[in-house]
Amino acid sequence: MQENFNQIQKEFDKDISQVSSLNDIEQIRIKYLSRNGIISNLFDKLREIPKENKREFGKSVNELRDYITNIYEIKKKEILSKSSQESSKIDLTLPANQIKIGSKHILTQTLEEIKEIFKSLGFSVFEGPELESDYYNFEALNFPDDHPARDMQDTFFISKKFLLRTHTSPVQIRVMEKNKPPVRAIMPGRVYRNEAINARSYCTFQQVEGLYVDKDVNFSELKGTLVSFAKQFYGNDLKYRFRPSFFPFTEPSAEMDITCFLCKGKGCKVCKNSGWLEILGCGMVDPNVFKYVNYDPEEYLGYAFGMGIERIALLKYGINDIRIFFENDIRFLRQF
Amino acid sequence: MKVSLNWLKEYINLDGISLNEIVDKLTMAGLEVEEIINQNDIYKDFLVAEVKEVIKHPNAEKLSICKIFDGKNILQVVCGAPNVAVNQKVVFAPIGAIIPNGNYEIKKAKIRGIESFGMICSEDELLLGNDSSGILVLSDDLIVGSKVTESLNLNDVILEISITPNRPDALSHIGVARDLSAIFNRELKIPSISLVEDEKSIFDYASVEVEDINNCPRYSAKVILNVEVKESPSWLQQKLKAVGLRPINNIVDVTNFVLYEIGQPLHAFDLDLLNDKKIVVRIISKNTEFVTLDSKKRELPAGTLMICDSQREVAIAGIMGGENSEINFNTKNILIESAYFNPSKIRRTSKLLQLQTDSSYRFERGTDPNITKFAAERAAQLIAEIAGGKVLKGTIDVYPKKISPKEIILRFSKLNKVLGFEIEKEKVLIILKNLGFDIYEVQPDEVKVSVPTFRPDVEREIDLIEEVARINGYDNIPIVPKISVTLEKKEDHQKFEDKIRDICIGLGFYEMINNPLVSEKEALLTGNPIKIANPISVDMSSLRTSLFAGALNSVKRNLNLGNKDLMLFEIGNVFNSRVQSEINDFNDFQEKQNLIIVLVGKEQNKTWNYSEKSFDFFSLKSYVNAILSKISLEKFTKDSYNSNENEIFIYYFQKTLNDKIIGSGGKVKKQVLELFDISSDVYLFEFDLSEIKKFDIPVVKYIEPLKYPKIIRDFAFIFDKNIFYEEIENFILTQKLKLLKKVELFDVFESDFIGESKRSLAFRLEFYDETRTLTEEEVEVEFNYLIEKITNNFNAKLRSS
Ligand SMILES: [Zn+2]
Repeated sequence: MQENFNQIQKEFDKDISQVSSLNDIEQIRIKYLSRNGIISNLFDKLREIPKENKREFGKSVNELRDYITNIYEIKKKEILSKSSQESSKIDLTLPANQIKIGSKHILTQTLEEIKEIFKSLGFSVFEGPELESDYYNFEALNFPDDHPARDMQDTFFISKKFLLRTHTSPVQIRVMEKNKPPVRAIMPGRVYRNEAINARSYCTFQQVEGLYVDKDVNFSELKGTLVSFAKQFYGNDLKYRFRPSFFPFTEPSAEMDITCFLCKGKGCKVCKNSGWLEILGCGMVDPNVFKYVNYDPEEYLGYAFGMGIERIALLKYGINDIRIFFENDIRFLRQF
Repeated sequence: MKVSLNWLKEYINLDGISLNEIVDKLTMAGLEVEEIINQNDIYKDFLVAEVKEVIKHPNAEKLSICKIFDGKNILQVVCGAPNVAVNQKVVFAPIGAIIPNGNYEIKKAKIRGIESFGMICSEDELLLGNDSSGILVLSDDLIVGSKVTESLNLNDVILEISITPNRPDALSHIGVARDLSAIFNRELKIPSISLVEDEKSIFDYASVEVEDINNCPRYSAKVILNVEVKESPSWLQQKLKAVGLRPINNIVDVTNFVLYEIGQPLHAFDLDLLNDKKIVVRIISKNTEFVTLDSKKRELPAGTLMICDSQREVAIAGIMGGENSEINFNTKNILIESAYFNPSKIRRTSKLLQLQTDSSYRFERGTDPNITKFAAERAAQLIAEIAGGKVLKGTIDVYPKKISPKEIILRFSKLNKVLGFEIEKEKVLIILKNLGFDIYEVQPDEVKVSVPTFRPDVEREIDLIEEVARINGYDNIPIVPKISVTLEKKEDHQKFEDKIRDICIGLGFYEMINNPLVSEKEALLTGNPIKIANPISVDMSSLRTSLFAGALNSVKRNLNLGNKDLMLFEIGNVFNSRVQSEINDFNDFQEKQNLIIVLVGKEQNKTWNYSEKSFDFFSLKSYVNAILSKISLEKFTKDSYNSNENEIFIYYFQKTLNDKIIGSGGKVKKQVLELFDISSDVYLFEFDLSEIKKFDIPVVKYIEPLKYPKIIRDFAFIFDKNIFYEEIENFILTQKLKLLKKVELFDVFESDFIGESKRSLAFRLEFYDETRTLTEEEVEVEFNYLIEKITNNFNAKLRSS
């Protein structure tokens, strides 16, 4: 008799293992647990069992029923939950919401990139005022009164002695006044030029000034440092040249050109057919400047450089009108 | 400055050196070549042709149909020039030629029904002069069919060179040739003077008196009698045209030639128009009207240095001559002025009169005081050659205090130290010699040189170092393979603003950069403007007093472009005057750094799963708090609210830190927005970053997270509407309840149902203790206490929950 029970249990185990749908589980119920099912039939048989075996038989039927009911319920729940997931499928292609992400102005991003490079080369970052005195903007930078060098930078005047700085170079003086050598710093900031506003020029722009003063600074190191910067910023395969120029506060003075990256040096409109783009001015700090900040020009040497951020960004991002930077059209700002 | 290569070659042999190399080496020596005009390329297609027949165009009054012979064929050409005539020799542009003025190609054309196979050119079209009234008629002896590059000598190369202000010596052909001589180590050939002078002495015919020797240290003069004033010969005209000058007459042309040859400005007077044949150089003592030779009447202020005769002014010294004494076609006798003027005097006058000429440009940069006599004699020689006349014996030369060359010592060790590598001594000496420096006393480590007076920029050892470096070539300076990191304290004074930017973009703001120059009206809205003395325009006549106007202008632009929802920020310096008078000291004004944030339009647009929400005052407040919280400052700041309008806002609030206002903002008033043509609501807040930076933000200390559970209780009260939330919150927090740690408002509800002057506020209260688990009972005690207190204090009514 017991074998018979084992037989049923095995068959149930086999049946239940093959269940995969609500219909299958219903078939199990009908086969084993319905009014005419196997369990019900077994209880019906109980009447026919001799008295002495009745108790044992009843116990076995109950055990079998509990076993089957239990597993059946678990399986049923499993099937139900599975089918409910499938039935409420969602439309994953509905559009996402736009998460608000701002951005820094492309000029700020360009400046940050430049700052990053120079900071890694051991430069500090200093600032100075935009409303400057004639002394810091010109005199202490070796621009004599009535000298044509002053015409190089069209100036906005506030009064006889005050003006809007035309370059970030006055910060050099301020930094040297406050610090003893070695001084190694860059000085970013806004400058102003009294120039007509058009696609190529604007009345204000940002510059980054650089300065290094120590006992053994030389032109070779100036070149090395700026070439390292340019390679990091513009790419390692860049070609460059340093050509003599004139700034009252450096001697010797130079301008650094790199191969025009629009025409690859062949000559185009942007580089005025020269194949070269001027990216910065530099030179060895003029001894006269050291005198203004009480550094001994026999003891110390220094180099300085300066570059315009707008120009760099115009070239790098292919922007054809400088005024776009100051219009703040959100569709422009979002692109970077 | 325009330089002719053919002209240059008169002073230096450039055989065997390509144009590219000349251009490249000049640029790399500091004389930057900005443009190359190669006539051989430009004029390669143009031919000398002869006009064979001219008939009227049947369909056009002003056009002619011409038959021209180009040396091979007879071609039909339609011509619009009034002066075209048979037998003329003309410049012919065949099909395919590119016209220099305008850069366009000649194509076979049908002009009013008549075919045309080329063009007869005007001076203007060829960029050979300004005359566009008719075609250029050539001299009869030219060969028909020849190329103009040969027959008209249009085979020059014109270099446009940018000369830096420190190099007045390079503002002439000999000056540029001198640099080339140093670059290529070739000899510089300076023309020698061979003057045939008359027996009569100049001193019997003219006199010069210099009253102001400081401003006119030297005045040299030559006199030539019986000249014939006429057109210059073509070689001279061509040279002047090559450098962009218009030929005038042989006398004036010679003075211009000498200017471009050696850099000494000259002026020619009609000697017979000088009263008493006398020149007096003096400062005028009162304002004077004077007509310059461009026929303009000018008001000259007292103090101007003038050239006068015995009675009146005849020229503005170093700048421009007067009409009253200029060379004309009746002039017979002339006086050539060749002077040296004080550079800063000329510059001041030129600035004052807003009159810059080729002369003033050179004088203000510094000419060579020791070349005046040579220049005057050179001019006299050329005038005698091309205008006839007799050059009187001698040169008047008023030069009481001779300006001697400076002497400078160059240490080779210093040269090597500054450049970072060693240049051979021999090479150094050759470079300096070729540049015109006299070398004497060569010692093991140093050399003494005397600086020619045409190099006023070279005053010190470092200037000599630059001369050697630039001629030797910056490219030859090696690059250091490594640099040392100096160990001084590194600082970053922009770290704070960089952090603020990161916070703002993290919150969804876009960064603007606005022009700090605004109109005075805009600047007056938010402070005491500082005005620009020489503004570009009224719209940009003041410095911004805050970031407000710039921000609103950007909002306006965006709204006009259809960008309606905006979250913008800017960090920038703002300027306010502290005085009524002009700025004369750093204490007279304040320059500080501000941050502005601006909200316009919708915070959230309607989407399939979100509902729409517009920005409001509380959005602004949230962003302000978020920014302060990210720099760990929020807990140190206090808010003060003002629901009454001020000049800018309908309602606004301020943030204070240590009793200092660090920012304020709110909803901008309609009247103010109207000034900017904005019709949308604008919420903005401006922070004073300079003030915030002064506050020493304490280092954040770690707080261990709570280990025991919190107990949360809610209640809602009906209050009178005029009781501010802030008041209630403060009341709750000042009850000194031990277990209550936080109060949060989670609902505000108004309805007729609870009364018109009432509103319901619902609070969530947090109770906990850092050291133990609370029981419901002890929380209940504080909770009930609070209910009773609020009820009594505000006459509020607890709503049943
Ligand atoms: Zn290019």
